[in-house]
Amino acid sequence: MSRVLRPLFLGLLGLVWLAPLYLLLVNASKPMAGYVSDEVWKPLADFALFDNLADAWERAGLGDAVVSTTIYSVLGPAVAVLVGAALGFAIVALRLRHGFFWFVLVFGGTVFPLQMIVLPLFVGYAEVGLYDSRLGMILVYVAISVPFSALVMRNFLGGIAHQVFEAAVVDGASTWRIFWRIYLPMSASALVAVFILQATFVWNDLLLGLTLSQSDEVRPLMTALTGMQSTYGGSQLPTVLAGGLLVSVPTVVLFLSTQRFFTRGLNLGQF
Amino acid sequence: MTGLSTPAPARTTAGRGPGATGRGRRRGGPYRWSARAFSLPAILFVAVLLYLPFLWTAAISFTEYDGLGSPEWVGWANYTEMFADPNFTTSMRNTLMWVVGTITVPVGLGLLIAVLTHDMRFGAWFRLPFLLTYAVSPVAVGVVWTFVLQNGGGLSQALDGLGLPGADSRWLLDEPLNTLMMIGAWAWQQTGVNALLFVIGLQSIPKEPLEAARLDGASGWRMFRHMLWPMLRPLTTVVVGLALVASLKTFDIVMAMTEGGPGRNSETLALTMYREAFVSSAYGAGSAVALFLTVVTLVAAITYLRRQLSTKHEI
Repeated sequence: MSRVLRPLFLGLLGLVWLAPLYLLLVNASKPMAGYVSDEVWKPLADFALFDNLADAWERAGLGDAVVSTTIYSVLGPAVAVLVGAALGFAIVALRLRHGFFWFVLVFGGTVFPLQMIVLPLFVGYAEVGLYDSRLGMILVYVAISVPFSALVMRNFLGGIAHQVFEAAVVDGASTWRIFWRIYLPMSASALVAVFILQATFVWNDLLLGLTLSQSDEVRPLMTALTGMQSTYGGSQLPTVLAGGLLVSVPTVVLFLSTQRFFTRGLNLGQF
Repeated sequence: MTGLSTPAPARTTAGRGPGATGRGRRRGGPYRWSARAFSLPAILFVAVLLYLPFLWTAAISFTEYDGLGSPEWVGWANYTEMFADPNFTTSMRNTLMWVVGTITVPVGLGLLIAVLTHDMRFGAWFRLPFLLTYAVSPVAVGVVWTFVLQNGGGLSQALDGLGLPGADSRWLLDEPLNTLMMIGAWAWQQTGVNALLFVIGLQSIPKEPLEAARLDGASGWRMFRHMLWPMLRPLTTVVVGLALVASLKTFDIVMAMTEGGPGRNSETLALTMYREAFVSSAYGAGSAVALFLTVVTLVAAITYLRRQLSTKHEI
């Protein structure tokens, strides 16, 4: 393709890609009073984005959901990377018997679609009182994050020479201390990468929220947003769009700021 | 063994006899108890919250159960009813559309963008719009596109303004148009990550053979067809494989845009499971759909991988 055609084509395609984002930004910023949905491309006259955000935050209950989801997507993956790293440590450094079997068993947990587990979790949670509780949500988010974190951490810890472990033993360190003070700090970059990927996954979760929670205090963000989507309409559209914008800001910022890190990581990784 | 490792057993087992060390080694090394303790949390989480529910769902799919009373064994009845249900046929058709759509449109567009931008000045800037939309959460993508695709909404107004036909289409109401439009919305989200993966792949291709081909006069399509495409083959396998598995489980975007409707005409298998189990409280029927979906996913993934691996040496 010639020097002119290529940038022209890419530029046009890029504009097509940005058009829905333009519509999102502009219409999320229009005042609700007098909002008409037949002039969506028209630029802004009055800027009411913050009013609409406040409305989504308070009246539609997204504020509660933001708090819950922040807790879930920090705590769930944080516990999961530690649990996964502990398994990797047991297999690689402590030479767990049948280590490969246990690893395959744990990693095999990613094979099933979530549809396969939500119903029994719903029934079981209701029985033991975990249904519609933050603890219940955190537990399930840890569980679904563990297999991937075990995969990455086992591979990463496998790259640390066993002499490191032996030398620490000579110095009289306990296994716990070796794990906590030597292996974890040495694998900080892998821990962070897994944490970010899983945090994004938990932040974006819809299905587990729909099936295992109900109240405004426990319900995660995406579930709250779909709820808002189906109850709000007409002149309230700017609020719904402001909600869509609100939930996307953290993932967009996180992705763009860590993109370089991941391109490098993927380059060296399994692909 | 290095000099460092030899004194280790002597110091750690000080006070115990050599017999203790010997017995420990036979049963899996001196750290067998710590090893068990460190691996236990991961195994417990996965066993209790993933495997146990999985087995429960598999068993319940052979019963009739609505959450009250106790499950009643019905054999294969849920499965025979499922295959006889026209809604299930629609759901299968839609899922198939999702699979074909996802492994062609976003993967193909991603590849095109990667090939066009990877050796270009300001290539990263031309890729930015696509990466930006990739970072938008699936449910938020649903919110944006529901707005764009309303009757007489953003898309219709744009077509009208440009004097193009189709402005009065009912984008999200008529089947199969609604599923096609949602696949488009999904492509809008997914193209960026595929482009990114292909760019990484292209940048890791050794430069020398490409230079040689260029000196021989290869460029454009020929360069792509005979040099880049074969070298990208392993990566393409991974990208298509991931898209295949993910597309079979399509849920979020459809739930956020049409909830499988109107009626049930845009349901995917994942939505059918949700509706049967959580809307109709037919736990047995919902579980049957879930198990069917799992089997389809596994069979598709295994078949795909085997075919890819068996043809690999031909390139």
